[in-house]
Amino acid sequence: MTVVTMTAPKRRSRLPEIVGAIATPVLSAVLGLGAWELAVRGLALPPYLLPAPSLIFQVIVDKWALLWGQLGFTALAAAVGFGIAMVLGLVAGAGIAASRVVDRMLYPWLVVFHAIPKVVVAPLLLVWVGFGLKSGIIFVVIFTFFPILVNTVTGLKSADPDLLQLTRSMRAGTWKTLWKIRMPSALPSIMSGVKISATMAPLGAVIGEFVASNKGLGHLLIQAVGSLEVPLAFAAVVMISVFGILVWYAADLIERRVIPWHASQRIKTP
Amino acid sequence: MSAVVVDQVTKVYVGRDEDVHALGPVSLTMQRGETVAIVGPSGCGKSTLLRIIAGLDDATAGTITVDGRRVVEPLDNVGIVFQRDLLLDWRNILDNVLLPTEFMANPGPNLEQRARDLLDQLGVGGFAKRFPWELSGGMRQRVAIARAMMCRPSMLFLDEPFSALDALTRDQMGVILQKVQAAQSVTTLLITHSIPEAVFLSDRVIVMSGRPGIVLDEIVVDAPRPRRLAFREEPAFAALTRRIRLHFERTGVLVE
Repeated sequence: MTVVTMTAPKRRSRLPEIVGAIATPVLSAVLGLGAWELAVRGLALPPYLLPAPSLIFQVIVDKWALLWGQLGFTALAAAVGFGIAMVLGLVAGAGIAASRVVDRMLYPWLVVFHAIPKVVVAPLLLVWVGFGLKSGIIFVVIFTFFPILVNTVTGLKSADPDLLQLTRSMRAGTWKTLWKIRMPSALPSIMSGVKISATMAPLGAVIGEFVASNKGLGHLLIQAVGSLEVPLAFAAVVMISVFGILVWYAADLIERRVIPWHASQRIKTP
Repeated sequence: MSAVVVDQVTKVYVGRDEDVHALGPVSLTMQRGETVAIVGPSGCGKSTLLRIIAGLDDATAGTITVDGRRVVEPLDNVGIVFQRDLLLDWRNILDNVLLPTEFMANPGPNLEQRARDLLDQLGVGGFAKRFPWELSGGMRQRVAIARAMMCRPSMLFLDEPFSALDALTRDQMGVILQKVQAAQSVTTLLITHSIPEAVFLSDRVIVMSGRPGIVLDEIVVDAPRPRRLAFREEPAFAALTRRIRLHFERTGVLVE
């Protein structure tokens, strides 16, 4: 009797794909900024209305120390708030998914809490914790907690029933099933929540700074607009945007590292 | 003493509007080292019966005894292969095969070597460090068989394991399965809706009716092992498959 034995093929280089992935967005950014610069110069728009990209870049260079310092404050609020939201979201999500009692006790209240417009809470935070970093952090937690929670619950509850039956046949206990089957199965869903929340974290920090902080890019933005320093306001917006983009790519990179096996990471965009 | 005794087992699913009588009463036995195939139409309760014997589902009535002990919880000496391979996408092939050992209190020594030996035996040894999505359906199912055999089970339960594969791959899998069975000497229960597959792979075929599934016939396949693919062209093989087909024609499962 003969058994056909198969050998694994060699892997191909991914270099051209990586170069393409970087070059394409850079090219589109250069074209977009060029069109903006030409429009401002061609229409002779005053800087207080719409500054040219070159002027915004000049302001960023001139006021780098100020912008960098404020970014640090915003980034700290975003990072700490996001970290707290992640721990709370994962723990609460695991509890809700594991226990029907916890689900019934906690979930309705969380939904009610989520339905309250976030900006309405900002003035209350000012009363409760005052100006500064703490309000920013709390605001980030409020903004980023729910997507992580919902995706954790969904992911943990969506484990393949056949797979769970297979592990039952292997006499796997509850905790080992949770750790080795349910958790990895839930990771794609959890990572979706983490990615959504990660990009909302800078937004939460900035909105928190609009109303309850005397530091940070959000506060700087409000001040600059108030004194008609529109190029500085744009510079702050650029810093916030670049920070947001970096956070997005960091989250994307983490997702690739955490779930390289998932179909979403294996599909190539033509 | 029989390795498996199924005594008057029935299964009724309680529904909102009406109950569904899915199985039985069914009685059968399996001898140690024997390969028994259960063949029957879709929905006759054959997969349910496998799950009940494995301790993964409860019978509504009747008893199951395995090696003299009544089954009340999942068996610890059985490897199961389902219709879907159910490989874990986040683990490479080797780690997938090692999965059942991670749930054992004392899995024993040289686990990785055993896993590699099993993969070699099944013809996919070169893919130990690859991931499931890099393998074809047939290769994935070979890995699922290796995983089921990893803990040296005394019984192997196969629930329509080749039904999602193409005809040629099914033939190849049948050959491979016999080789593994011979090397490991396991008592095997094969659930299938393929009459030729049931006859080719088993020592005894149990023919079941449509829902609620009851035993229509028990047919001994008296042919030496391992069987070559050419066995399917012999008159004896044709006679056995005809006998099973007639049962299905008589009960209206097959209509021309």
